[in-house]
Order: sequence, then structure tokens, then C-alpha cells
Amino acid sequence: MAITAKASLYHSVRIDEKKCVGCVRCMKGCPTKAIRVKNGKAKIIKERCIDCGECLRVCPYDAVLPITTSSADLKKFKYKVALPSPVLYSQFGQHVRPNEILSALKQLGFDYVYEEALMCEMTSRAIEEYLDEYKGPNPVISSTCPVVVRLIQRLFPSLCQLIIPIEPPREIASKNLRSEISEKYNLRKEDIGIIHITPCSAKMVSINYPETMKKSHLDGALSIQQVYNDIMKSIKRPSRPFMLDTQSPVSGIGIGWTISGGEIRGLKYFHSVSVSGVYDTIRILEDVEAGKLKNIEYLECMICPDGCIGGPLTVENRFVAKSNVLRLIRTFGDKKRVDTHFVKKLYKEKFFSFEASVKPKPFAPLDKNRAKAIKKMELIEKTTKELPGIDCGVCGAPDCKTFAEDIARGKAKLDECIFLKKKRINRKKETLWRKKK
Amino acid sequence: MSSETTFQQDFQIKGGDFVNAGESSCKIRNILKDIGIEAEIIRRIAIAAYEAEMNVVMYAKTGLLKLVLTPGKVLITVEDRGPGIKDIELAMQPGYSTATEEMREMGFGAGMGLPNIKKNADIFDISSAVGKGTKLKIVFNLDGNNS
Repeated sequence: MAITAKASLYHSVRIDEKKCVGCVRCMKGCPTKAIRVKNGKAKIIKERCIDCGECLRVCPYDAVLPITTSSADLKKFKYKVALPSPVLYSQFGQHVRPNEILSALKQLGFDYVYEEALMCEMTSRAIEEYLDEYKGPNPVISSTCPVVVRLIQRLFPSLCQLIIPIEPPREIASKNLRSEISEKYNLRKEDIGIIHITPCSAKMVSINYPETMKKSHLDGALSIQQVYNDIMKSIKRPSRPFMLDTQSPVSGIGIGWTISGGEIRGLKYFHSVSVSGVYDTIRILEDVEAGKLKNIEYLECMICPDGCIGGPLTVENRFVAKSNVLRLIRTFGDKKRVDTHFVKKLYKEKFFSFEASVKPKPFAPLDKNRAKAIKKMELIEKTTKELPGIDCGVCGAPDCKTFAEDIARGKAKLDECIFLKKKRINRKKETLWRKKK
Repeated sequence: MSSETTFQQDFQIKGGDFVNAGESSCKIRNILKDIGIEAEIIRRIAIAAYEAEMNVVMYAKTGLLKLVLTPGKVLITVEDRGPGIKDIELAMQPGYSTATEEMREMGFGAGMGLPNIKKNADIFDISSAVGKGTKLKIVFNLDGNNS
């Protein structure tokens, strides 16, 4: 079960201490070493968490809970809009039309449903506009995945300037919807609730704590898991795949954004590269940092394996989902459904632009005083040599190096290493033995 | 001030080892981040360290990269055993390269290595003996500006 947004605004996940057995899986899997196991329970270090959802994926005890909007939270809005990620279309097999999924979604109590896929295609055009004028340095990095943005701020602060200053489709779509709907129905903007239907566990954090604007244009996020059963109940499942729905305003370009390589698929003339998965993303960002990838113009990174279809809040496994998306892309085709001139005009008006640039937010150094930090670095080197180096995790830190860092930061004691403790006890025993003799 | 505080680490670099190329400069970056060096300075050091490391990988037999960290400075020295450079002035010219066709196909040897190091460093010193090897001394000031 998901936790409601009120439980914690900052984290995208919460650890249920009743279910946590204190194993080391989430701690080991965490790419930013943001988890420690203390007193038999996993604890998230708030400042180090980038909301990637790896812990959510690996926990076999369902003790890591995603935080999303509750259906009760929706009641406060007079007019409710669902903004489904196109990932939703990949969750119900190959035979169900997106339109049918959308009307089933609407029946869950929404006044209107807007396909994010539409805005994805428009954003592809806006990115092309930006790259056309761009003069370097290379590569420009996609801003779509909120975790990638956080990862760059934390681990690769010097790359913040490379993030494309264009809001992701979900934000631009919501911005547009809010002004259109408030005008059309004469509603106050705050009475309209725009809710992302999402595969992504980091969405709530990017909504509550946006990095490039004062306030997110979205009002909340429901996970695909939260709406899955209800949609499942109300759709009919035909036995044959459907043919192209000529009514649909969406093309394969927009739907493709859900898989790794999909965003760059929409960019025809640029040397682009796509990467997915948190560890591969870190690896490629290291290469960017070294200046290795200057010949690449656009870099698409997605934290979830294979892209958003690999999001932790999906239902269908990502391989089947990917196959479904590829089929949808073939069915809907790559014929552009978006008015290029219209996008150009909006782009010039800065409709797609960030309000503020992405600011570096590096992890806290070993010490604010540089001389002390250097001393602590020496201590880490020395401690690491003493430790067994097998990264067992029993001390409560994910590996020996991190344990040594925790000691230098005053957050752990050398005695917490059971191997060193055993050594010390054995030595004591030996001396006692000798004394007896 | 405790100006005696230093942290030093050595990195062995193997010539021709493209598989592990870039690892030393990556480790250096992580050390600098933990110390809390500014992002922009890390970016400059990262580029210089990577280019210096790649020069050893591409041309030399072996090399030793030394990182010396003090509160006010980052010093990187690279000493390699290799062919050396005949004409340093020529080698410092942007675009000049002695890279082989294969290296170029792999995306290296654009002739920007040494000029890039010089551009990013606060102090840059190079000496070389043909048939013996090349020595680089690269200094970054941490407190002042990059003049």
C-alpha cells in the first residue's frame, strides 16, 4: 500500500519499521550510499537520497513504501484532471486501445484526461529548436527524469549547466491545462487538480520540491499500481490487436518517450545517445565529467532500467511493457501530429523554459574546513587499510570504504566491525593465555 | 594555518591499457568531491587529469600519476617512461598530434590534450627527454581565481 503525501513530503519512499527485518539488500543496492542499517532497521539518510527507487525494487519484504497522492487528497479539487504517462498504455496487453484505457481512467472520478504523449511530441520539437541554436559545451543532457537531475546536482554538480533548460512534458502540459481550463470553465486556478498517473516513485518529490521553479504545475501523482485494478475491471479485453485509431491525436514519437532511446528517437538530426539504469547513468556521467563525450550533442539518461516502463510503480514487467510500447509505436507511426510552427512560436515565447537553472547541490564534504577535510581523507585511507575489505555490511554501512568515511565523519565506531572486534578479542585471549602460562 | 596538512595518493597508469583508462582521474574527482572542492574547479581538474592520464595510455609504456592535496592547492604530477616529445612547442599547439590512425578512429588524438591541460591549469610545466619520457606538473589554486 502506498503512503499518502502527508506522511513525508521530502522523501519519495518511507521504510516501514514493522516490516523491515534489517537485512542489507536496500543498503547494498543504494547507488548514493544513502542507507544504513542501525539497530536492525534500515534508515535513509535524507541528504544523500536522490529518490531513485532502487531500495523499493530490491526489498523482498515490502518494507520500502512509495509516497504518492491518496484518492482522499483529490477531493479538495473542484475540477480534476488526469495526466497519464504513456507508460499506462503498455500495462494492459497488446489488445487494448489507449482510448479505452483513457476512458476507464476518466471514470475513476476525473473530469478530464489529457494524454502526456501529446506534449512529449511537442517537447521533442522544442528540444530540436534549442539544439539548433546551441553552441556548446557538449553534450546537452535531458531534463525529463527527475532523478537524473537530482543525481547531477548531488554527484556531478559541475554538469548542472549542461541540463537542457526545458521543462519535461508533464510540467508543460499541466501549465497549459491549468490556464486553458480555468479560462474555459471560469474556475480559480487552485480549484483545478492536475494529477500525474505515474510509473515513477520520484514524482512526488519533484512535485513537492521542484528544482527549476517556485511551484510545480502538477498537484499530485497517483501510481499506475493505484489505478491498475480499477481500470482492469472496466476495460473489455478483445482477443485481437487493434488497428490504428484515426481519431487519436497522438503519434508514435510521443508514446516512444516511455522507453530508453525514445526521447532521442524524436530528434532526427542530432548525434544523441541514450542510457538507462542508475549505475549506467552514473558511468556515462563520469565520462561526461572527464570530457570524453564532447562529440555527442544530446544525452538522454533515464534512471529506471529500459526507461519509464521500468519504473518501480508499474504493474506489467518491463520487458512485456517494452514490447507493447514498440507495437504502439508501429501502430501509431512517426507521422508528426504536432504543428511545428505553433511549437516554434511557443518556444520563442519561452513557454517551455525553466524558470530557474538547476543549481549544484553537492553532498556535504568530509569537513567544512579544508585542512580538516584533508586530514579526514587521510584517516579514511588509513582505516580502509585496516578493514577486511569484504564489504559484508554487518557494521551497518554498505561497504568498508563507506564505513571508514562514517568513522571519519564521527558517525560510526571502528569497533562496529565484527572482524576487527574478533581480532581484538583473540589478541586479548592470547595475552591472557600467555599470562596464565 | 595548518599549511602542512597534505594528502597524497599515487596512481599507476599502464601504457596501452584502454580498458582501464580514465579510472585514475575518476578516483581523483571523487576524492576532490569528498574534500568539498568547488564544482567548477573540479571540472577543470577532471579534464586536465583525464587528458594527462590518456597521454600516458596512448603513448607511454608506464606512468605514475601523483596527486598532492593541500588546503590551498591541488598538485598533479605525471611522470612517464615513454618516447618523450621532440618539439614541445609544436606539441603544445592545438590540433597537433602524433596519434596513429587507430587511435583517431577510437576518438582520441585530436591534438587537444596538452593545450587543454594548460588551459585548465593555473600552473603548467612540461619537460621531456626523447627516448626516456615526459614529466608534467599541473597546479590548481584553490583559494584564488583562475588567472
